[in-house]
Order: sequence, then C-alpha cells, then structure tokens
Amino acid sequence: MSNTITAEHKTTARRDALNESHVWQVYARRKYDEPLHEIGNVMADDVELAKVYARSIYDEFAWVEMVIVPRETIVTVIEP
Amino acid sequence: MSTTTRRIDHAALFAIISSLADNKQAIGRRYAYWCNGAPALEAAVAAAAMTQDELGHARTLYPLLDNFVQAEADPSQVEPETRTLHCSIAYLDNDFEGWSDFVATNFLFDSAMTTFFEAAQQSSYEPLRQRARKIVQEERIHEMHGEGWVRRLARAGGAVRATLQASLERLWYETLCWFGPNDDPVMRRLYNEGIIDATPDELRSRYLKKIMPTLQSVDIEVPVSFNASSKQWEVSVTLPWARWDAVGRRL
Repeated sequence: MSNTITAEHKTTARRDALNESHVWQVYARRKYDEPLHEIGNVMADDVELAKVYARSIYDEFAWVEMVIVPRETIVTVIEP
Repeated sequence: MSTTTRRIDHAALFAIISSLADNKQAIGRRYAYWCNGAPALEAAVAAAAMTQDELGHARTLYPLLDNFVQAEADPSQVEPETRTLHCSIAYLDNDFEGWSDFVATNFLFDSAMTTFFEAAQQSSYEPLRQRARKIVQEERIHEMHGEGWVRRLARAGGAVRATLQASLERLWYETLCWFGPNDDPVMRRLYNEGIIDATPDELRSRYLKKIMPTLQSVDIEVPVSFNASSKQWEVSVTLPWARWDAVGRRL
C-alpha cells in the first residue's frame, strides 16, 4: 500500500516538474501583402520548444512568416 | 521494349544505406508510440510530426537499395514490408521505457545520423546527395526539439534529471560507435570515393561539436574532453569496439 502511494507521489512529482507554465501567442501570415494575425497559442517553458510546437501544431498552411510572443509581455491598452 | 538499369556494385554504400533506412524506420516506430503519450499535448503533436518525418526518411532511403548488385540475392530485403534484416541499433530493439528515451534517441542518435547526412550534402553519389539535403533541412526542427527537451528534463532536477541521464548513458557508446572505428572499411571507402567528406573520427568530432554545448549548458558530464590546440572535442575513453557488430553497425 505504502509502495503504491510512494509510486503515485513520484509520478505526480515528475508531472508537476514538467508542467509548462509559459504561454506563447502564435502569429502568422500566408502572403507577404497581408499582416500577421493571431492563429493560436502554445505552452512551453523553453523558447526553442515553443518554436517547435508552434511549427508542428499550426502547420495547416505554408506560412511565409510565423512569430511567437510571450503572453506575459502583452500590454493591455483597453480593457475588454 | 524493355529497359534495364545497371545496378551498382558497392557493398559499403549498400551497408550504410541499409543502416540509415533501418534506423530511421525503427526510430519512427518507437516515436509513434509517444504520439499520445508525451508529457503535454504540444509535445505529442510534435512527436507525431517527427514520427512522420522519420518514417518519410526511411521511405526515401529504402528504394535506393534496389539500385545495388547486393540487393539481387534477395529482392525481398529491399521493401520495408518484406525486409527481415534489421540493421538498427540495439537501443531501438525494444519499446522506449519512458519519454526520456524518446528525448535521448532524438538528441543523441538521430543527431549522429544527421551528422552523417551533413557530410553527404556534396556526395559523389547523387541519390544520397539529394536526400541528404532534404533530411538535414527537416532535422533542424528535430534538433531544436532534442536540445529543448534535454534542457527541460535536466533542469527539472531530481528523478526527472536522473532518468534522462540514465537514457543518455545507455545510448552514449552505441551512438559514438555507429560512425565505426577510424579504420572502418565501410566508412573509409565512402570517404575515399567522395560519398561523404569526413572520416569516422572527423564525423565523431563534428557530432560532439553539435551536441556538447547543450550538455554543457545543463552540466551533464560525458566522457569527452576538449582539445585546446585542435579546438575539437575528443572521446576520452576507448570505445567498446570488442562488442561492436560491424555488419549490423550496433553494439
């Protein structure tokens, strides 16, 4: 019984240690003459992983440009 | 009217393409299991994309085998569906024990094969040259994934870091050996004929230059040293060549 609890505790601890806490907004455009627009977001604590995730998740079009922006850097000008 | 294509008699090139194709195919199969088992949704989607890439690389390599005299003895060995020979490394024989095996395979072994493909981008064998350029391009994303996840798992500390280290240790020597000993007749012939532009030792050195910055950044120690005069990373222990299977290119 105690072994089971220890194993569960370890699994939970590992999962917690790998929980992503940073959200990145993903922007892209399909043509040079159109502006970047938001297409979604990804969660990753590592910027390189965020780039990999954005590319693999939002691969529905042959984008000419894609950028990611950390959500916490966005400054609200007008509250909703 | 029938046309016949003259087959190439080149045992060394046939052996290396077999190894590359079988390892790519094996990696794809192992990755596939993690398309819905990765630690996060984003990682699972990336795993699915990488699975497709690896199986795609295998699919572009297997047909090349049919161009060789060495394939005539048993044509069934050319198709992945009927092939019974498997020249993949021992690490890929069984399912991954955890996500850290996925990360280690991508970061260590797939990067080693990418080092080979980088050395074949000006290859005198055109079919390999064409494929190498495409594969190197696609592998850039895999390298970012590998480096990112090594940093992520190493910095998590505790059991997570220990599990990553164990996975890296299990794969370390087999990956370094895959390039072959420096007098490996297979790799030497490819080098002498301009099929690749580096000897096994040079390939190992280029490979270490690729992976060491990430390992250093998270203080993961491996048995290599930096030679200040040559400005190159060198393996600081004797590799286990006594256990090396030169035909299967595996330990």
